[in-house]
Amino acid sequence: MRRGQLLKSASFRLAAAYVGLFCISVGILAGLIYVYATSELRHEIRTRIVADSSALREEYSRGGLKQLEDAVADRQRGRLVGGLDYAIFDSKGKHLFGDLPAAPCVHGWTTFTGPPDGDEPSGEMESLGVLITPLPHGNCLFVGDDIGKVRTFGSLILGSFGWVFLLTLILAIGGGVFLSSRVLRRIETINRTAEAIIEGDINRRIPRRGAPDDLDRLAATLNRMLDRMTALMESLRHISNDVAHDLRTPLGRLRRTLEQASLTVTSQAEFKQVLQNAVVEVDGILETFGAMLRIAQIESGSRRGGFCRIPLSDLVREVSDTFAPSIEDSGRSMELKIQPECWIQGDKELLIQSLANLLENAITYTPVGAHVVVSLMRNKSEIELCVADNGPGVPATMRQNIFKRFYKVDPSRTAAGNGLGLSIVAAVAELHAARVFANDNKPGLKIALVFSAAA
Amino acid sequence: MQILLIEDEGDLATYIARCLTENGHIVDHSPRGDSGFQLANNGNYDLLIVDRMLPGMDGLALVKALRVLKSEIPVLFLSNLAGIDERVEGLNSGGDDYLAKPFAAQELLARVNALLRRPHRVGQPTTIHVGDLEIDLIQRQAKRAGREIDLFPREFSLLEYLMRRPDQVVTRTMILEGVWDYHFDPKTNIVETHISRLRSKIGGDLIQTVRGSGYLIRAARAVT
Repeated sequence: MRRGQLLKSASFRLAAAYVGLFCISVGILAGLIYVYATSELRHEIRTRIVADSSALREEYSRGGLKQLEDAVADRQRGRLVGGLDYAIFDSKGKHLFGDLPAAPCVHGWTTFTGPPDGDEPSGEMESLGVLITPLPHGNCLFVGDDIGKVRTFGSLILGSFGWVFLLTLILAIGGGVFLSSRVLRRIETINRTAEAIIEGDINRRIPRRGAPDDLDRLAATLNRMLDRMTALMESLRHISNDVAHDLRTPLGRLRRTLEQASLTVTSQAEFKQVLQNAVVEVDGILETFGAMLRIAQIESGSRRGGFCRIPLSDLVREVSDTFAPSIEDSGRSMELKIQPECWIQGDKELLIQSLANLLENAITYTPVGAHVVVSLMRNKSEIELCVADNGPGVPATMRQNIFKRFYKVDPSRTAAGNGLGLSIVAAVAELHAARVFANDNKPGLKIALVFSAAA
Repeated sequence: MQILLIEDEGDLATYIARCLTENGHIVDHSPRGDSGFQLANNGNYDLLIVDRMLPGMDGLALVKALRVLKSEIPVLFLSNLAGIDERVEGLNSGGDDYLAKPFAAQELLARVNALLRRPHRVGQPTTIHVGDLEIDLIQRQAKRAGREIDLFPREFSLLEYLMRRPDQVVTRTMILEGVWDYHFDPKTNIVETHISRLRSKIGGDLIQTVRGSGYLIRAARAVT
């Protein structure tokens, strides 16, 4: 099974394809070199024969047969390995000199085969290429050379290429198997990790080798993805925990009230009062659900399709004016610092709700006499909306948490809200690709939303 | 008044029907969209209360079909889908008002009454009188017994909203939607504070608070 896996692995196939391609290119190279080298050698041999034949013909026309024979004898005496073969025949075809066999005296090339002289490939005959040159007075000159050595040279080339070829093949296949088994092992590790995670071991991660190669990078990316998913699951679990907790508390309270009432209440008026309180409690629960659904709807991003150009300056002024009487009646004061003509792309209704939530928080979580500053500033391409108060503020360690769902700075104040107001603000900010900050107003809390300005 | 209620939730339908009957309306009930459409098309009703999601025929489709047939009957949508898009869809399809479940009985009654009194194709008046209070809708001015009253634009809108509905209870939510176009429920008492400022400007006797329901401007009383 393991071998089958190896043969089917992508890296092995890649290696095999490379080997195949390499073999083809080596084959073509060998063929080209073979053809070029042998034809060059053959050409050189013929050139030598042609040159010698015309030199001897010169000797003959200068000094006749005698001088020709002397010249040939001279050449044969000094004959080294690789020298030429000669023969001279007279007009009647009589052998005068040399050891080449007879042939009709017609100008041109001919080939003789003879017994092997040792330099041929085994089992082949000696093969001579001979140039026949008719001389005046009917004599005939034969000059030849062993053309078998051309083929010997060719086989030598092919042979050495064959060895290279074989060696390469072995190395390539061996390397392919080695490399792909290594890669396979690492992929198998990733696979096993994934299986373990599927089985429920959600905290397993792919071991890293520390080498900066692509498989290690893949492992790192997968690990990061798993971290992110774990974090998301964790926050989801948190949310459902919080929902359960946050609904249990008022439901428990409701149950206690009703139970108490069923035991103690006697008069109609009292009973009515209990029921009215129960309705208020249930309304609070329904409101929590409504707010959660709203956050879910905002987070789905579907509202982005309805974005239009919003005059944020006017919007902020109108909402602030709407809340101003309530803020003043509650014994707090409000100040507006609104730069005119600030425009953004957005959803009017959600922006109004966000600002309303911020203003309501500024009323709810500050003591009487507090001062609330609503500001809207344009800074180049960014527009910053700020709601700041000089109340008790939020400790630095808790500040980053206040946008989380159901987070309450002071959990004992159950009546103060459902802990979703700022979550809605954060969701609206995210929908608008705006950044949201909670800062220390020294003293007090300052919530800032930074939008990018519309053109 | 004759009201047709098309609602598939049995408990809720009974609750609504009882609540409307107690207030002097006659209620027919249909639990399905298709049969409800037949009733609405053949019967002579003053108001339709239609759930958004119904078996047989979707609430939106039902109202659209009625509007195609040139019916001008006022329609109040009820829906579990409290989302903003759903509300806009409901109003676009020909609904006249939209109420998200769950709702209080008073809220439903106030909206039903408002729809039943909605004048059909009456020319836009330029002034409205309630008793000795008069508002000029073009000049955006209010006068009481001939004396001009200085109002902020939002206060004027609020007064106009109330004066267009004399002797009618309007709820806090109706005011938020009608005057501010706010479709969420602020926990702050913005309606209350605006009403109290308006009262202090026009005189405390005109706008009455209806406990547990909302507000009302009484035309009859001002005359006497």
